[in-house]
Amino acid sequence: MSSSQPPASIVVSDLVKVYEPSPRWMSFLVRSNLKHAVRAVDGISFEVQPGEICVVLGPNGAGKTTAFRVLVGLTTPTSGSATVMGYNADKEAVTVRKLVGWMPADQRALLMRHSVNENLRFHGQLQGMERDELNRAIDETLELVGLDGWGSSTCFALSTGMKARLQLARALIHRPDVLILDEPTGAVDPVASHELVHLIRDIVSERQIAALISSHRLEEIETLHSRVLLLDEGRVRYDGDLNSLRQKYAGPMLTIEFRNADSASEAGLSLKSADIGSISHNGAEGVVCELSPNVTHAQVLSLLQSQTEDIVSLQESVTPLHAILANVYRDKKGGET
Amino acid sequence: MTTETGERRISPGWRKTAGAFLRVDVIEEINYPLTLAMQLLGIIVPLVPFFFISELVGSSRTVGGDYLTFTVIGLGLTAALTGAMSGFGSSLQRAFQRGTMEVFLVQPVPWTTLPLAMNQWTLMFGALSSLLIFGVGALMGADFQMSGVPVAIVIAILGIISSTAIGICSAAILLLTLKSAPLLRLYSFAASLLAGSIFSVDQLPTWAQYISYALPHTYVINATRTALMDDPGTFHMSTTTAIVALVVFNIVFLTVGFYVFRRALELSRKMGTLGGY
Repeated sequence: MSSSQPPASIVVSDLVKVYEPSPRWMSFLVRSNLKHAVRAVDGISFEVQPGEICVVLGPNGAGKTTAFRVLVGLTTPTSGSATVMGYNADKEAVTVRKLVGWMPADQRALLMRHSVNENLRFHGQLQGMERDELNRAIDETLELVGLDGWGSSTCFALSTGMKARLQLARALIHRPDVLILDEPTGAVDPVASHELVHLIRDIVSERQIAALISSHRLEEIETLHSRVLLLDEGRVRYDGDLNSLRQKYAGPMLTIEFRNADSASEAGLSLKSADIGSISHNGAEGVVCELSPNVTHAQVLSLLQSQTEDIVSLQESVTPLHAILANVYRDKKGGET
Repeated sequence: MTTETGERRISPGWRKTAGAFLRVDVIEEINYPLTLAMQLLGIIVPLVPFFFISELVGSSRTVGGDYLTFTVIGLGLTAALTGAMSGFGSSLQRAFQRGTMEVFLVQPVPWTTLPLAMNQWTLMFGALSSLLIFGVGALMGADFQMSGVPVAIVIAILGIISSTAIGICSAAILLLTLKSAPLLRLYSFAASLLAGSIFSVDQLPTWAQYISYALPHTYVINATRTALMDDPGTFHMSTTTAIVALVVFNIVFLTVGFYVFRRALELSRKMGTLGGY
C-alpha cells in the first residue's frame, strides 16, 4: 500500500466459505436438504477505502450475502480473512460490530410495533450510547435521512421507502466507519430508490465512510459512479470502475434499420453466424448488434455486403449495463480481473 | 475493562443491554392491552376449580391438611418456574420468525449475554403471575405460615435460576434447529407429571418418585410447602435438603447451559444459519 493512500477500511483476503452439511447427530433434531458441501465464497480478495462505495453485483448464489455475513461475524470463514478497520471479523467480532452499520435486506428486521424513535433508541442503547448523546443522534439522523417529524410514528405505518430510510438511519446512528448495505433498495419503488441512492452517496462522501452495497438495480450503480465488484459462483469476475468495465467487456452497440423485413432477417442470420456479439431484432426491419469488444463497424459492414444497399440507417449507442454484465458472465474463461 | 477480544471496552455493558431488551418487550406487551389482561386472567381462572375441589375434599389427609394452600403453592411456583424456563426460547423463536434476530446479533453485545437479556420480561411476568396466584389464593382462604416466607423466597430464587439454566440448554437446540424446543417440552411434561404441583409426589409409583428427584421443580414446590404450610401433607421435603440440591443443580445446569449455548452459537455460525430462518 502506498504511503499516500489511507489504510483500507475493509480488507478481504483469499476468503473462502464452504457450507458443510449438518453433522449426522443433528438429523434427529432437524432434517437438512444440504447433502454436499457448497463452496459459497471461493477465494475472493478486495479492499474498500474510506469514502469509497463498492457495489457488489452478482446473480443469486454468487456469494454476496455470505461475504457480508462473514464481515459482520454472523458466519465464520473456512479460510482466508476479513478485517474491518484492522480488526479481524471472525476473532474480534464484537469490536467489528461496533464499527459497522448494517442494513439487512429484510425489512422485517425493524421492530414493527414500535415507533421510529424506539427503533433507533434500541439500536443506540445496544451500541452503548449515552442518553443525551442518543437523543441528539436520533434527531440528527432522522433529519439526515429525511424522516424528521416521523419519530413518533409506528414503524408498520411507514411506506416501504420510509422503512428503508429508517433501516439506513439505524445503520448510521452510531456513526460507523463502515456501512454494509444488503440490497438497500430491494423493495423500494424506482423514485424512492433513486433518492435513497443519492442520499447514501452524499452521506458516504460527507462522513468518509467505506460502503459495501449489494444491489440488483443496475441503474443505481451508474448513479453511484462507484467501484463495481462482480461476483459469480463465489469468485470475483471483475473489480474496478464502470468505465474500465465498459472498455474491457463492451463493444459498440449498433442499431441497423433495413428497407424491408426480408433484408433485416437475412442480415440477422449473417451476423449471428459470424459470432461477433449478441444479435437481436428491433421490430421487423431493425437489427440490434451488441458487439463483442474489439469488433469494429467495418467488420460488421463487411459481413453485410449483399445487404448494404438495403440499409436505411445505422446508429451507434452506449451498451446498456445489463448487456455488459451478460458479457462478463458469458466470459467465464476470462478469470479473475 | 476489556472485551472478550482483549481490546478496549466497546460493549454497552449489562445495564444498557438489559434495559434495551426490557424496554422493547414492555412496549410490545402494552401494545396489546386486552391480550395482556387475558393472560393475567388466565393465570387466576385455573385456581377456581381447585377452590371447589378443596371444599370437596376438606381436610382429607391424602395430600395434607389444606388442599387449597397445597395447590396454590404448586401452581404459583410452577408459573414462576415456567416463565424462567421458557422466556429465552420463546423470545428467540419470535425473533427468528419476525426477522429481527440478525439485527440483535449484529450489535457489539457479547452473544452470551442474550439468554439473560432476552429472558427478562418472561421471567418478570412469571414472577408476577406467581405473586398473583399467591395473592388470589390467600383471598380464597389459603393459609401461609409467614415465618417461612424468607426461606421460601430463597428456594424460589434458586429454582428460578435452575429453570433459567434449563431454558438456556433448550434455547441452544433452538439456535441449531430454528424451530421448536424439544428439550423444554420433555422437561415440562416430566415436571407437570412428577413434581407434585397439584398432587402429592408419594402418590406416584415408586419408580416415578425416583425420577421426580432429578427435577428441580420437585425440590422447589415441596420444600416451599414445608416452609409455608403448617401441615405440608404426606410427602415431606426438608428445606435444607432442597437448598443443597438446588445449589448443586444450579452449578451443574448453569455450567452445562452456557457451555452448550456457546457451542451451539459456534456451530450455527459455522453452518451459516445464525440469525436466519
